[in-house]
Amino acid sequence: MLNQRRFVIGAVLIAAAVSYLVYAGIKTTSVYYFEMDEFVARRADHAGEDLRVKGWVKQGTMQWDAATNRLAFDLSRKDGSEPVPVAYTGILPDMFAEGREVVVEGRYETPGLKAKQIMTSCPSKYEAEREQGATHPGA
Amino acid sequence: MPELGRLAVCLALLCALFSIGASITGALRRRRDVVRSGTHAAYATFGLVVVAAAILLQALLTHDFSLEYVAAYSSSTLPTYYTVAALWGGQKGSLLFWALVLTFFTTLVQWQNRERNRELMPWVTATLMTVTSFFLGLVTFITDPFERLPTPAVEGADLNPLLQNYWMMIHPPSLYTGYVSASVPFAFAIAALASGKLGDQWIRTTRRWALFSWFFLTLGNLFGAMWAYEVLGWGGYWAWDPVENAAFMPWLVSTAFLHSVMIQEKKDMLRVWNMVLVLLTFTLTIFGTFLTRSGVISSVHSFTQSGLGPFFIGFLCFAILVAGGLVVYRLPELRTAGTIESFFSREAAFLFNNLVLVGIAFAVFWGTVFPVISEWVRGVKITVGPPFFNRVNAPLGIALLFLMGVGPVIAWRRATPKNLWRAFAFPVGAGVAAAVVLLLAGVPFGYAHTTFGLGVFVLGTIAQEFWRGMRARQALLHERAPQALARVIGKNRRRYGGYVIHIGIVMAFVGVAASSVFRVEVQQTVKQGEEFKAGRYTLRFDRIENREDGHMAASAAVVSVFVDGTQIDTLMPEKRFYKKPKQPTTEVANRSTLREDLYLVLGSYDPQSKLATILAYVNPLVVWIWLGGVVIAFGTLIAVWPSAAERRVEVPVPDRAVRAG
Repeated sequence: MLNQRRFVIGAVLIAAAVSYLVYAGIKTTSVYYFEMDEFVARRADHAGEDLRVKGWVKQGTMQWDAATNRLAFDLSRKDGSEPVPVAYTGILPDMFAEGREVVVEGRYETPGLKAKQIMTSCPSKYEAEREQGATHPGA
Repeated sequence: MPELGRLAVCLALLCALFSIGASITGALRRRRDVVRSGTHAAYATFGLVVVAAAILLQALLTHDFSLEYVAAYSSSTLPTYYTVAALWGGQKGSLLFWALVLTFFTTLVQWQNRERNRELMPWVTATLMTVTSFFLGLVTFITDPFERLPTPAVEGADLNPLLQNYWMMIHPPSLYTGYVSASVPFAFAIAALASGKLGDQWIRTTRRWALFSWFFLTLGNLFGAMWAYEVLGWGGYWAWDPVENAAFMPWLVSTAFLHSVMIQEKKDMLRVWNMVLVLLTFTLTIFGTFLTRSGVISSVHSFTQSGLGPFFIGFLCFAILVAGGLVVYRLPELRTAGTIESFFSREAAFLFNNLVLVGIAFAVFWGTVFPVISEWVRGVKITVGPPFFNRVNAPLGIALLFLMGVGPVIAWRRATPKNLWRAFAFPVGAGVAAAVVLLLAGVPFGYAHTTFGLGVFVLGTIAQEFWRGMRARQALLHERAPQALARVIGKNRRRYGGYVIHIGIVMAFVGVAASSVFRVEVQQTVKQGEEFKAGRYTLRFDRIENREDGHMAASAAVVSVFVDGTQIDTLMPEKRFYKKPKQPTTEVANRSTLREDLYLVLGSYDPQSKLATILAYVNPLVVWIWLGGVVIAFGTLIAVWPSAAERRVEVPVPDRAVRAG
């Protein structure tokens, strides 16, 4: 029975180590994730912090300079309201286009977002568009 | 025809439901004939699902754009093999495909056990048919692949260009095979719990199935990583995306299960634990399917956001409740007397290996669902990314690698100092020597260095096992070395197959560690003729070549690769612009060698200024991950190959015996 108890202690130690790693990992690496509405409401509290913001690339605001790899666009709600300027330098993601849903990871510095990374959600968005009939062959 | 397909699906669902009822009734009332009718209904389900899938496939191949599914996922210009792949390329088709694979496995299991496991089989059938009914129910009531468009489309919208890749032919089917075949050990576990036959009969019967499922999960994960690496063009192979995690978690738990069953077989311990692992593997496969389809957690490569989420959650809860309830109900019978005597024993090493594997699975799970949990608890979504997973899993992976060396060679029950010396003197020596040599060669101390040292230690234990097995046989039977080695492997296929798999895993560990820690990434905007450096390579952008066909237009950058002033290669990373749908894609140019990959991406090209932005990654030892996969496949083959004794047992039973039964 003594051995059994020792094993429980061993197992608990492993579980504790895993829990600690998870806890510390989340503490140091986690990032707020905001939908556009939340972001607009709470951005004042999070100036200078790393954030992820999900929104839509507003129609007619995308400026891409292939020579310098600078991208600027407005991130907005789906209907184009509440635009927030986004600045990004780097490779233009293949799926990036006006009207698409994107997640911007970066820092909020008034008045806009300085993006480190832009994530486009490809197939799901692609299919969703079609279901709405935007590119539907029958539509 | 599509109406027939729908009819086939509906009938299949009815057959499956009948099969559940008949199998359970037959098992409870001990009526052989009723059980048999349940079995036959399961066969019929398989037949009907085959018919339905064939009709959908035919609709795809004949470009019947009156079907919503066909119009959405294929086109008349899509090559035939991608048209076939469209069968599982979309949500609806993939669910039907799942049902197809599951009913096929059900049929296979029933045929394998036609003369065996009389008391388990009705429950196995009932369980597998319950899972089948869930998927067929979704296909029948929620997402009908045979749905017609109000007006037939003239042309299809085509398969997503990102999916138009040969990996589409192999990655999803292998992952589905792994996912779906995990249902078989699960069904036997449920059968053992329901019938009260809790010995290790169910484990012996499903041993191969568990290994089969594990193997295809391994392949599915590896193929997915290769696909991401070759196609997505961000220089890596694993991004800890929720969908990747969804495939990784069942693999981890299934790995733990494969190891802990050995303890049950040898020592009759850990019965409850094994039950939990097998149930967990299955629920994680369903959870994975749920993650990819529900849109609950945003991911780069999920299916359409759909209303399927609640059904999956419901089914998951149902499975957990039934399985958990059965485990609790049988708990008194599941308890065993065996205890672990010492920390320094094989039992302990296996148990700790299990805990670490499940710990990794837990960490991955937690990181994956954390956004959802934090939203529930704190009302705000908090996400974690690759840094979290890397930070947590690197130390756990190191621990796992260490245990992989210890487990197979440490003595059972209690290792004495003499045992330990005999088992570990050589491997530890080899590992330490390798670590010192690597330090002197300039490899900095850290995760990668530790992984290499431990890798050599594990390889040392394996080499020692092969050597000792061979020598023992030589001493006893005076065989020549190659013959003795072949025989000793042939007589202990599972054990030595397992060692070979371990070699493959070590190779993958080394590749992952090296390519994560020592990778070089350079992004440079250059004009024609300009050079830049990436690692030991000098790259010169020579020109842009354009070409165009009906399907797409492509711009390729011609890049000359130099090492020490001599040209060794010319690479052509490419941007493609698909015409339908209008979308650019990246075609990576990868120069792969055993030492490192030179991985080039054409980031952008500006025709006005004639400036190209090129990303160059130097990823060391990536090939070793893929080679590790080949070694794992080879090891699995050794492990599952029937031994001579088993082959003799497999002689078919005469027809009369079947009828008499």
